[in-house]
Amino acid sequence: MPAILSLDRLEKRYGAVRAVAGVSLEFDAGRVHAVVGENGAGKSTLLRMAAGIVRPDAGAVRVLGTALPPGNAREAIRRGVGMVQQQFALAASLTALQNAILGAEPVRALGALDVRRARERADAAAQEIGVALDWDARVETMGVGDRQRLEIVRTLMREAKVVILDEPTAVLTPGEADALYATLRRLAEAGRAVVVVTHRLDEVRRYADVASVIRRGVLVSTRTMHGGAEDSIAAITRDIMGAEPPPQLERARRTPGEVRLAVRDLHSGRALRGVRFEVRSGEIVGIAGVDGNGQHELVRVLAGLDAPDAGEVHSVGGGGGIGCAAVVHEDRLAEGLVPSALVRDNLVLGELARFTRFGIVDAAALDREAHVRAARAQLSAASLDLPASALSGGNQQRVVVARVVCGGERAPVLVLAQPTRGVDLIAARAIHGEIVRAAESGKAVLVLSADLAELRVLCDRILVLARGRIAAELPPDAPDARFGEAMLGAPRPVVERSSEVAP
Amino acid sequence: MTAASRSAVLATVAGLAAGWLAAMLLVWLYGESPRAIALQLVTGTWAVPYGVGQVLYKATALLLTGVAVDLALRAGLFNIGAEGQLAVAGLAVAGTAAGLPATTPAWIALPTALATAALAGAAWAVVPMVLRVRYHGHEVISTIMMNRVADALVAFCLARGMALPGTVRTADAIPATHLPRLDAVGLRALHGSSVSAALPLAVGVTACVAVWLRRSRIGREVVLVGMSPRACEAAHIPVGRRLGVALLVSGAIAGLAAAGPVLGNKGYFESGLGAGAGFGGIAVALIGRGHPVGLGLAALLFGTLDQGGLAINGRVPMEVVTVVQGVVIAAVALADARIRAVALRGVTS
Ligand SMILES: Nc1ncnc2c1ncn2[C@@H]1O[C@H](COP(=O)(O)OP(=O)(O)OP(=O)(O)O)[C@@H](O)[C@H]1O
Ligand SMILES: [Mg+2]
Repeated sequence: MPAILSLDRLEKRYGAVRAVAGVSLEFDAGRVHAVVGENGAGKSTLLRMAAGIVRPDAGAVRVLGTALPPGNAREAIRRGVGMVQQQFALAASLTALQNAILGAEPVRALGALDVRRARERADAAAQEIGVALDWDARVETMGVGDRQRLEIVRTLMREAKVVILDEPTAVLTPGEADALYATLRRLAEAGRAVVVVTHRLDEVRRYADVASVIRRGVLVSTRTMHGGAEDSIAAITRDIMGAEPPPQLERARRTPGEVRLAVRDLHSGRALRGVRFEVRSGEIVGIAGVDGNGQHELVRVLAGLDAPDAGEVHSVGGGGGIGCAAVVHEDRLAEGLVPSALVRDNLVLGELARFTRFGIVDAAALDREAHVRAARAQLSAASLDLPASALSGGNQQRVVVARVVCGGERAPVLVLAQPTRGVDLIAARAIHGEIVRAAESGKAVLVLSADLAELRVLCDRILVLARGRIAAELPPDAPDARFGEAMLGAPRPVVERSSEVAP
Repeated sequence: MTAASRSAVLATVAGLAAGWLAAMLLVWLYGESPRAIALQLVTGTWAVPYGVGQVLYKATALLLTGVAVDLALRAGLFNIGAEGQLAVAGLAVAGTAAGLPATTPAWIALPTALATAALAGAAWAVVPMVLRVRYHGHEVISTIMMNRVADALVAFCLARGMALPGTVRTADAIPATHLPRLDAVGLRALHGSSVSAALPLAVGVTACVAVWLRRSRIGREVVLVGMSPRACEAAHIPVGRRLGVALLVSGAIAGLAAAGPVLGNKGYFESGLGAGAGFGGIAVALIGRGHPVGLGLAALLFGTLDQGGLAINGRVPMEVVTVVQGVVIAAVALADARIRAVALRGVTS
């Protein structure tokens, strides 16, 4: 059987960087094909070329043997290549439903929009992967998890022959990821080709039929996975990094000090309904739960961006909100970075005062600090002069984390939402190291993550946020079932968020 | 060059070409030869010293209003109000310059007059600023409204005592406030034209703004806020204050644009003096693309068209050159994602 989608010696250069340097790959019907590699390896660029979103410098993309016109996304969609991009492509001011059907609206006679049918179709697609979405919520009020689900649903609704998903599970809970892969398996069995980019090798082991490793723009290996053999995963790990992986973080016992962050009876619209907890100095507390249960709002309140309706946030070393907590926001492209500004400026965003004398920015001092932080985030010095939007997704994440960790050195509280979203194994471990160091230096650390495994490794205790309340407090080694119970014991609410998002 | 800036330059060139074609089409419809009119437009401006001087005179005000509009754009704001800011500043500076004691030395009189112009322009931006920062009111609408209010205010003040009896002009400014004409300070060749020391002043202001945006903390934050207010807010940059500063400084610079006509040319303010330069500044800013040299070139271009319009006025209505301006603004605004984003804010977000 011929491959549905074949990539023939694709090349893409950005300035001095060869993002993709001659990669040929075939994606077959009936298979789930994982594409893995370090941050900046060229995975997104490669697949964006496959979907016609990026125009290759050289090489060809063929669908069932016929070449696609280069860089023509519309034609690619028409020919059955659908892609969920790493960076969402949703219209912020439209509702979830409007986004889901955008460009493929079901119409009745005379071209009137058939809202009922649109809803049915969207519901069916959502149910298939076991997610519930509030179709009337505007995208700009949705958290990244919901936006990710929406993107996936939208692509599934297009009934593509080739479904490409770029890091779809980065902000999904393990349960949701399982449901997604079950759907992908069904699609494959129905004769589609499925391509998934992920940094979680566990997913590769459990769900992929084929795995390709990209390193520095070059295809290193393509393996057929035989029932998830451990040795092939080890080989893939070596291929990804060209070396053995660094050791897993050792969880050291920490003795918590006095309370640094006290959240009392926090209410905000219908999203937060009486949240209370404390975090002590030197302690790492996790917040688990399905995104959309108040995480987004909690972080905004802790960051001092939104005022709660009721309740209070107390922190030692500051009243509430501003100044007390250094915050990594979940949506790096909206709240974490100024995408069109240089990486250099993004690494010190909001800290210009530190580098200013008599109103004038000391460019040399800023540059020194930017270099220090870039090195700490394992970013190349060359990337300092790129706009942040030109970095790969994982590298953007590193910029945000480096800034908050370094810039918030004096803040008594560190809050991180999805801190390792989209970063590769090595960088994830480096970020975990930073988090642990911050706690050891006496900070109170709060980590919100969809990835329970990550919380288990990092945290001293884990709170489960469900329906705007802390539903449970569990030790990190509590069994999965207890977490699942706490998270999903009650049906997932339709959360209405305040639309107080700045334009 | 990145793909984005390449397409931006392309949009500019295409917009200019489209504007020029539209104007020439009008000329043709008017029954004149486009080629002859184009030739006359050029010979009436750059081929004679007087024409060159007049182009530079017009370009002076356009450069300042262009810088004003551009500065606001960098902050993500569309200041349509330069026209009103300039008018109000013109009246204010003329009033001050005429009201100073005749013996005031130039080193006090001139800075005072210039400061008045800047302050009046900034004052005229206060209402849009408050509406924008406090109530998220779109500055496009409020600055347009302020233009109308400026028209009415200027007419009112002239009618109620600021004009000399029986005229629509104010009293003469004291000589110490005059910006010398360039033909009087050695550039004889520009004989008779109105270009004055306001030109080097405008160039200086342009350079200062460029440096301010690049080097100062506040300027840099203004630019960052223009790129992503949300990310800046999350990073605790005072977004509202930065937007406010940008609008005020923008108004002040637009106000300074009144200095050329009032202090460098007429020596008084009269109804309609400097009119059009505020709107022209929008075109200059769109063509100049956030670069001081680009702004300078765009000001020269539109200054040439302005002056050229007078040169061809005998054969076709001079308004054909306004068509160029209009089409360029429309074309560039449509093609430029940055402008679209600013103009459509509130509609799409
Ligand atoms: N528009 C651009 N301008 C300049 N460089 C770019 C641009 N887009 C991508 N690059 C560079 O191309 C390289 C590959 O990026 P790509 O996004 O494909 O990586 P990736 O494998 O998807 O990484 P990640 O796992 O972090 O998502 C990176 O070095 C990136 O900086
Ligand atoms: Mg990527």
